[in-house]
Amino acid sequence: MSKKAEKKEFLISDHILVPKHEILSNEEAQKVLEVYHVKPHQLPYILSTDPVIKELGAKPGDIIKITRTSEASGVAYYYRYVVE
Amino acid sequence: MSIEELQKNIGGIKFTIFSPSVIRSYSVVEITAPETYDRDGLPVPGGLMDPRLGTLEPGQKCATCGNTSAKCPGHFGHIELAEPIIHVAFVDDIYAILQTTCRVCRRVILNEEAINEYKKLLVDRTYVTPEILEKVSREIRVKAKKIRQCPHCGSPKYEIQLVKPTTFYEVREEGPSRLLASSIRAWLEEINDENLILLGYELSKVRPEWFVLQVLPVPPVTVRPSITLETGIRSEDDLTHKLVDILRTNQRVKESKESGSPPLIVQDLVDLVQYHITTYFDNEVSGIPQAHHRSGRPLRTLSQRLKGKEGRFRGNLSGKRVDFSSRTVISPDPNLDINEVGIPLEVAKKLTIPEKVTEWNVERLKQLVVNGDKYPGANYIIRPDGVKIRLDYVQDRNAVASALAPGYVVERHLVDGDIVLFNRQPSLHRMSIMAHTAKVLPGRTFRLHPAVCTPYNADFDGDEMNLHVPQGEEARCEAELLMRVQDQILSPRYGGPIIGAIRDFITGAYLLTKDDTYLTKEEFINLATIGGYVGELPEPAKKEPEALYLGKQLFSLFLPKGFNYVLKSSWYGRPVVIKDGVLVSGVIDKASIGAERPDSVLHRIVKEYGSEVAKDFLNSILRVIKAYITLKGFTIGYDDFWLSPNVMKSIKQGIEEAYKRIEDLQKQYSEGKLTLMRGLSPEEALELYIVNELSKARDSAGKTADKNLPDDNSSIVMARTGARGSPLNIGHMAAALGQQSIRGKRIIRGYENRTLCHFKPNDPNPDSRGFIKSNYREGLNPLEFFFHAMGGREGLVDTAVRTQQSGYMQRRLVNAMEHLRVEYDRTVRDPEGAIIQFLYSEDGVDPSKSDHGKAVNVNRLIEAEQLSAAGQPVSEKELESLLSKYSTKLNPKVIDELRVALSKSKLPKVNVERVLERTLELFEQALIEPGEAVGIVAAQSIGEPSTQMTLRTFHFAGVKERDITLGLPRLIELVDARRQPSTPTMDIYLLPEVAGDLNVAKRIATEIRFSKINDVVKSSEIDPSGQITIVLDVNAMNELVVTAADVAAAIETSKRKPEVIGDDTIIIMMEGADLLSLQRMKTKMLNSRLKGIPGITEATVVRQGNEWVIQTKGSNLAKVIKIEGVDPTRTITNDIYEIWSTLGIEAARAALVKEIRSTMEEQGLEVDIRHICLVADLMSVTGSLKQVGRHGVVGGKASVLARAAFEITIPTLAEASVKGETEQLKGVTESVIVGLPIPVGTGMVDLFITQGEKINGKESA
Repeated sequence: MSKKAEKKEFLISDHILVPKHEILSNEEAQKVLEVYHVKPHQLPYILSTDPVIKELGAKPGDIIKITRTSEASGVAYYYRYVVE
Repeated sequence: MSIEELQKNIGGIKFTIFSPSVIRSYSVVEITAPETYDRDGLPVPGGLMDPRLGTLEPGQKCATCGNTSAKCPGHFGHIELAEPIIHVAFVDDIYAILQTTCRVCRRVILNEEAINEYKKLLVDRTYVTPEILEKVSREIRVKAKKIRQCPHCGSPKYEIQLVKPTTFYEVREEGPSRLLASSIRAWLEEINDENLILLGYELSKVRPEWFVLQVLPVPPVTVRPSITLETGIRSEDDLTHKLVDILRTNQRVKESKESGSPPLIVQDLVDLVQYHITTYFDNEVSGIPQAHHRSGRPLRTLSQRLKGKEGRFRGNLSGKRVDFSSRTVISPDPNLDINEVGIPLEVAKKLTIPEKVTEWNVERLKQLVVNGDKYPGANYIIRPDGVKIRLDYVQDRNAVASALAPGYVVERHLVDGDIVLFNRQPSLHRMSIMAHTAKVLPGRTFRLHPAVCTPYNADFDGDEMNLHVPQGEEARCEAELLMRVQDQILSPRYGGPIIGAIRDFITGAYLLTKDDTYLTKEEFINLATIGGYVGELPEPAKKEPEALYLGKQLFSLFLPKGFNYVLKSSWYGRPVVIKDGVLVSGVIDKASIGAERPDSVLHRIVKEYGSEVAKDFLNSILRVIKAYITLKGFTIGYDDFWLSPNVMKSIKQGIEEAYKRIEDLQKQYSEGKLTLMRGLSPEEALELYIVNELSKARDSAGKTADKNLPDDNSSIVMARTGARGSPLNIGHMAAALGQQSIRGKRIIRGYENRTLCHFKPNDPNPDSRGFIKSNYREGLNPLEFFFHAMGGREGLVDTAVRTQQSGYMQRRLVNAMEHLRVEYDRTVRDPEGAIIQFLYSEDGVDPSKSDHGKAVNVNRLIEAEQLSAAGQPVSEKELESLLSKYSTKLNPKVIDELRVALSKSKLPKVNVERVLERTLELFEQALIEPGEAVGIVAAQSIGEPSTQMTLRTFHFAGVKERDITLGLPRLIELVDARRQPSTPTMDIYLLPEVAGDLNVAKRIATEIRFSKINDVVKSSEIDPSGQITIVLDVNAMNELVVTAADVAAAIETSKRKPEVIGDDTIIIMMEGADLLSLQRMKTKMLNSRLKGIPGITEATVVRQGNEWVIQTKGSNLAKVIKIEGVDPTRTITNDIYEIWSTLGIEAARAALVKEIRSTMEEQGLEVDIRHICLVADLMSVTGSLKQVGRHGVVGGKASVLARAAFEITIPTLAEASVKGETEQLKGVTESVIVGLPIPVGTGMVDLFITQGEKINGKESA
């Protein structure tokens, strides 16, 4: 579609259904693992082929912090481990 | 029985496949003789009933282990097979190996590079999920299939053909040639470990050649006991029969091999052995005939024993039969307490409780023993040495009684006050089993208080219920602490009361509390006493001429002191106001004390005073109401629905007028003058008008009836108070029944173009299509009666289908979520420790401890505080600083709520501080307890209401042409994570700058709706010369905003060169094409895309607020968000899969929550968002959407037993054996199966000691 180029690029992360995803730094990731006392494979996963992950440029092995707007508590954090 | 502490804990179960040598080593005898018993009735040695296989008869000793039948576990034997036989359960595995390995060199038939690549993947597993591993072997298989020559040794690779169930062929050039079991076995033997790893087999656990049997294990006789009938004839078990067949045929194979029969004959016999062994394992294999018993009944062989609802797993291991239980019909008894259950004396004498004799109860128990079977007595005594004495057989019970001393156990009869569990099936939620206190009564039915009908979903039309008596101290204690009726008043489904007044209690409450109800002093005192009121009498409301009390005053007696309450939305226009425990104004009805009513008087009492007070309140008030309504009398009968002839006439007239209007419409239709509706054909429009007209007619008839019945009419009272019935029901009885329907349409089936032979074909009169003018009072005429029965049947069928569907959905949900629990850090995890939620429900609040979903009812707190508040309102700044102190302890939502409510309340600082303190306190109380089985609760909370959903899909209110699947089918679709919803639809929002412009919206809609060239073609023709002429429809083109040039552009390809002539004609020259291919080309051309997005069949512009929105039929999110003018950030679809692939897993989760929620809400069913979130989180933990079912969440469970117990039992077990899986027994189902404590809730508590730190002498936890 040639029309797309003229337009402001649409980012998947701008969609109302998509919460904020961010890649955790090594230290932050380590802290999350410590707080929950887990190995990375015990975290929920997100596929490296996930459109948001592709947009973020995260690699397998990264831990993604997701900030959801929550019906129950206002704001909730969720973490996902990027896998292939 | 002695007090034997048999401490043998099962640590785990490992699944593998037995090698022939293992089978032989376990065997105690080789079975060779096909005979079971000789002529004297003695088992034949070496036969299937060889005494060495174990013993069945009591008293007889086992020839192998020397135990009697009670203790001998039985011992395996074996049969040496003359020829190798393929095991059916592993056919697919064999097939896969044959397809992927070379027939000569036995290596994986991929080239060196590919193999090395996969090997690397298998060694380095850092970021690889088990799914990926599975994908590797699948990929290898797919690739190997295409290879025709072995890259290692160069020998040809033939296609392998599997003829189900167990025959393999190699498709060679000269034709298919059979691969015999013996050669397959040889093939499998020669594959080395290096190649096996690539095929997904772990090293040294399982060898593939074991898939082909050489030795068949013979199960011990305990597995296949023979039955002796009364006639003395022995009847053997199905398995024994099958084994006899195997032995016989195996014998024949041996014999014919020895005698040198031609190989073809031998092969036929081997095939027969194969058949018998196959059916021995599984008698439902497709492709071969079932093996039958002599009587013609199919044999129940090994697979059938394990499989299905009545199979070993679901029938005997997951669900076991229990002692100390009882079942009988239930009946109501409003004189009981809500937490009591009436138990027939006969039952109380059978059900016993073991009570340990102590110094303190010895006298009482002695008396019970003396009483024996005279209630209250005892049935058994267990002596300290473990001997159990049945008191029925004791001559002198006094002697036994006097021997009673501490250490004895007496199994005494059930008495009043004992705690018992009461249950009604289907047990859809946890309130289906509650702990009651026993009340032994005469009669033969279980009695329960009508107020607890709601949680059990019981009525008294013949319902039966079950009763269980917990036997141990722990069990009784747990039942008392967790399961009592009063502790279940609040449902975890929506955080509101599920127990409360129903039916006549509500009517009675209304009659008692309405403004003109006065009671004499005598009545007042009597009723107050019945309610158990102790205290002073209030001042009578009227003193002259005699002292009269208001009914409201009586009600107030039982309200807790200091209780304040206002219910604004009262049905009677005036709010219910309770001030300091006194009902000041308003009428008490369903909204105040009814079951399933959140935010009612009852709900507030439970929340603020606790379940004990609420129980006492309910007990007292319901008893008073019952006494009052009995005193006053309340009835309903035939003449309650009598309407004056005038009113009846006007009702009939109303219907006649509607009929006339319908006639008019039909005339307009036949003249073609009917005003049409968008998107509807004239027929559909006419039908719609008629249906509307008829439903209006019935509604107004009902309204007339309602209006003309007096306010004190019993049915009106019941309908208005919510006790029973609705205005619709009253209309049916007094006015007219209205239209009967089948599948949401007027009745049409039956004869050709007519419903019954009493009508002419295509009769326009609504009577002929099932409109019923009569009411129940007058009665229906025969034709009407017939239509009514037709409509009624649909209702019955619907209910039957629905219960099945929702039952299965709930089973799947429970199986998928049962193992989830809250850990001590309030994360939700599965037994492997994998996190599903980082904080339960995102705020850590237990829905059953919440106040209608909210952790804390802030407004209630402020209201209470306002009563005593005085002084300067808190300033905004002060409020902020106070709130910020709590920002780490309370979540943002609560803080926001506090901010809004407090700033509006104008409370002084002191009070604000108090509110905040109290909020935190209540918030912490509402937090979920570690160990809570949140998975099961969520599954039940979604499954239970689904029983009440509608089955049908219906029109969406807004747009006529948008059909949306709703109700149960939609819910099932969502938890199934179907790739394609049955009615995909999108809500396309436009960019803010153009959203208000209807023309732009319409243009974009044409841009989106998929249209074919054919849609703008008026006519087309073919000339034999090769010319295709297309005449375009200018109107249609304008509608779609296309020009002839656009059409031509759409037609144009490298071969087709269209030419535009004038405004509306296109010519295409196709030279050298014959007529047939021209014709084909034309059709193809006309059906090709002109414009729009594939998949979207309709696009309608709809007004929403102050912008235009495009709603579609069909969905294609990825393409739509790229269209100019469309707002890509707000546009959504109901296709969850599409959201996942275009917006990612988090968006899919959010959409799933939204969709499940709106489906429930649309049906008027309340479910706490926390339950829905948990389901959605579970379905999306793996990063992909997983179905709730065998291919998704349940199939992904770590436990073999849990998977096998759910569905597909046999393949699951076979796969587990092939892979050498180990059952860790960490989950719920597994623990139930092997009899371990359930690792959830109170079963989760365990003791951990950190050993190392203790030695250092340091203090540690």
